[in-house]
Amino acid sequence: MGQIVGIDLGTTNSIIAALEDGQPWVIPDEDGTVLLPSYVGMSDSGQLLVGQSAWRQYAAAPDRTVKSIKRQMGTDFTVTLGDRTYRPQEISAIILRSLKQRAEAMLEDEVTQAVITVPAYFTDAQRQATKEAGEIAGFEVLQILNEPTAAALVFDLDSEDSETVLVYDLGGGTFDVSIVEITGDVTEVLASHGNNRLGGDDFDRQLQRYLTDRFRQLHDTEVPNDAATQARLLQAAEQAKIALSEHAFTTVREPFLVSQGETALHLETDVAREDFENLIKPLLKETLDAIDRALSDADMTPDDIDRAILVGGSTRIPLVQNLVEGHLPDTPVSSFEPDLCVGMGAALQAGVLSGAAVDSILVDVSPHSLGIAAMMDTALGPMPGMFSTIIPRNSVIPTSQSQIYSTAADGQQIVEIEVFQGENPVAKENVPLGAFRIEGIPPKPAGVVQVEVHFDFDINGILTVTATEKGKGQQQSLVVNDTKTERLSSHELRQSRDAIASLFGALPLFDAEGDDGEWEDVDVEAEDQE
Amino acid sequence: MQDHYDRLGLSPGATPAEIKAAYHAKLKEFPAHSHPQDFKAIRAAYEALRKAPRAEDDFFAEVPVQAELDPALLDQLQQRAIAAVDVTLEDLIRLTF
Ligand SMILES: Nc1ncnc2c1ncn2[C@@H]1O[C@H](COP(=O)(O)OP(=O)(O)OP(=O)(O)O)[C@@H](O)[C@H]1O
Ligand SMILES: [Mg+2]
Repeated sequence: MGQIVGIDLGTTNSIIAALEDGQPWVIPDEDGTVLLPSYVGMSDSGQLLVGQSAWRQYAAAPDRTVKSIKRQMGTDFTVTLGDRTYRPQEISAIILRSLKQRAEAMLEDEVTQAVITVPAYFTDAQRQATKEAGEIAGFEVLQILNEPTAAALVFDLDSEDSETVLVYDLGGGTFDVSIVEITGDVTEVLASHGNNRLGGDDFDRQLQRYLTDRFRQLHDTEVPNDAATQARLLQAAEQAKIALSEHAFTTVREPFLVSQGETALHLETDVAREDFENLIKPLLKETLDAIDRALSDADMTPDDIDRAILVGGSTRIPLVQNLVEGHLPDTPVSSFEPDLCVGMGAALQAGVLSGAAVDSILVDVSPHSLGIAAMMDTALGPMPGMFSTIIPRNSVIPTSQSQIYSTAADGQQIVEIEVFQGENPVAKENVPLGAFRIEGIPPKPAGVVQVEVHFDFDINGILTVTATEKGKGQQQSLVVNDTKTERLSSHELRQSRDAIASLFGALPLFDAEGDDGEWEDVDVEAEDQE
Repeated sequence: MQDHYDRLGLSPGATPAEIKAAYHAKLKEFPAHSHPQDFKAIRAAYEALRKAPRAEDDFFAEVPVQAELDPALLDQLQQRAIAAVDVTLEDLIRLTF
């Protein structure tokens, strides 16, 4: 059997980690770099580019480069590279495949099984797409693990007593907050909340808009809306953002940004940290609200939190640290391997699953409520299409829950079970997961026929719904989200896998031969595919 | 209730610390990823015991109602119990298709 790895598939950066003597270590590429930028591109000669090389060509070729694909996971978005269109899970699979190659080269062994992390607040479809990405890349995905939970597995506690830790994870594309109780080697998640579309990408976009305004003020002309110019601006924005974590001011210089007849127009402007902070404050306020929501779901107050731990590249922004500290007075707030701990935790969990000598017990929750559409009494009388929760959010998984319903109309012979995930009291406002019917119910007066709806939710987020009509004992069930029955057929999966594999086989990975500049220092930028 | 105590290998009257320690010990024996059914039962037992009134205020279960109990208080408790049952029944009826 080959090696088992943990993978943090990030919006901006991805890493792969393995266990050695029970300790996780992050596997570097040949140059010793551990972070793989989550960029995929095609060179002008049709060569596949992954990571730094794709990142480098970005500003020059935004139309041939994909970034932040994680934000599209679980949607039917597609992107064209070369002569083929790719679904988000296929682009992610290219990143995963590149990490797999790196690990196999370094470990000199086959790597076939992986634990892959996702934001805790990822929905069902997003998790499923991630699992598919892993399979397309040629992995057996042992578990889809929540990122803040993975991070919590890595913390070393010095005391034997329980410690309650708040994990605040703000990355490139997503935000999660989890409240975790750690007792010896038992790590128990009490509640998670988050936002799947909040992260460094949004801060970059705010600053990009700000720079656009500045340019207009300086030159009395608009910045053209073409992809390449916008990509340069966005990249300048990200670099300015990172500089402002260290300095109170930074200067943005983009020479020859726009040509106006014979003259070239440059962008050169100072940005103060305070200006940037004002741009992102409203977004950060949302993260504080999420902390409160997680606390209340865990039945806790800030006083119950022993310490807060900041994870993710965006927590390097001083304002983020200040706001969290201000929001949790009396709680020590610290950073902990903000780029690496999620991947390291995934490797630890991979070790646990493979039976390696790792003493670590994990109890996790599902942050979204699950239920069905039903007629319910409201202030306005009985209303159809309300959301009746069967598994409340932040239930420990795996879990099984049942609820009994009865027919709403006289002589009703068909019952439709529509399954949703979300928190809105109106069913249709939530994410639909599937539907099925029970037919041939004996006609009886309303309310007489009872149907028991049973939800079984497993550790990987696979939901099995069974409805049983109590009288005749008719039973129908639906497996939501099982790769074998849903979304991609195994045939489609195989096709994707072969296509991606041939991309790697036929076209050598360009990464290793690329120029040797440190990618952080290279002056190119990326286009957002949204 | 006794089932839940048995499940965690405890006897009634166990302190919260003992309940938690027993729960953690069982988790090590039956982790969620490899023993999902056992895990669910252990978790259910833990949740029930954790939320249960502590032995010291659980006198209804242990001791017959004492004569010196304030009848007004008793009445209040009974009303509350009825109200609680009412709500669940009503909820069930409300949850119609
Ligand atoms: N010093 C810094 N100051 C501000 N932002 C930074 C700094 N360093 C990195 N970032 C930002 O952090 C983000 C990347 O963080 P990270 O690698 O944790 O994200 P990720 O794991 O790829 O994303 P996610 O977890 O959301 O999927 C980027 O938006 C990057 O611009
Ligand atoms: Mg991350």
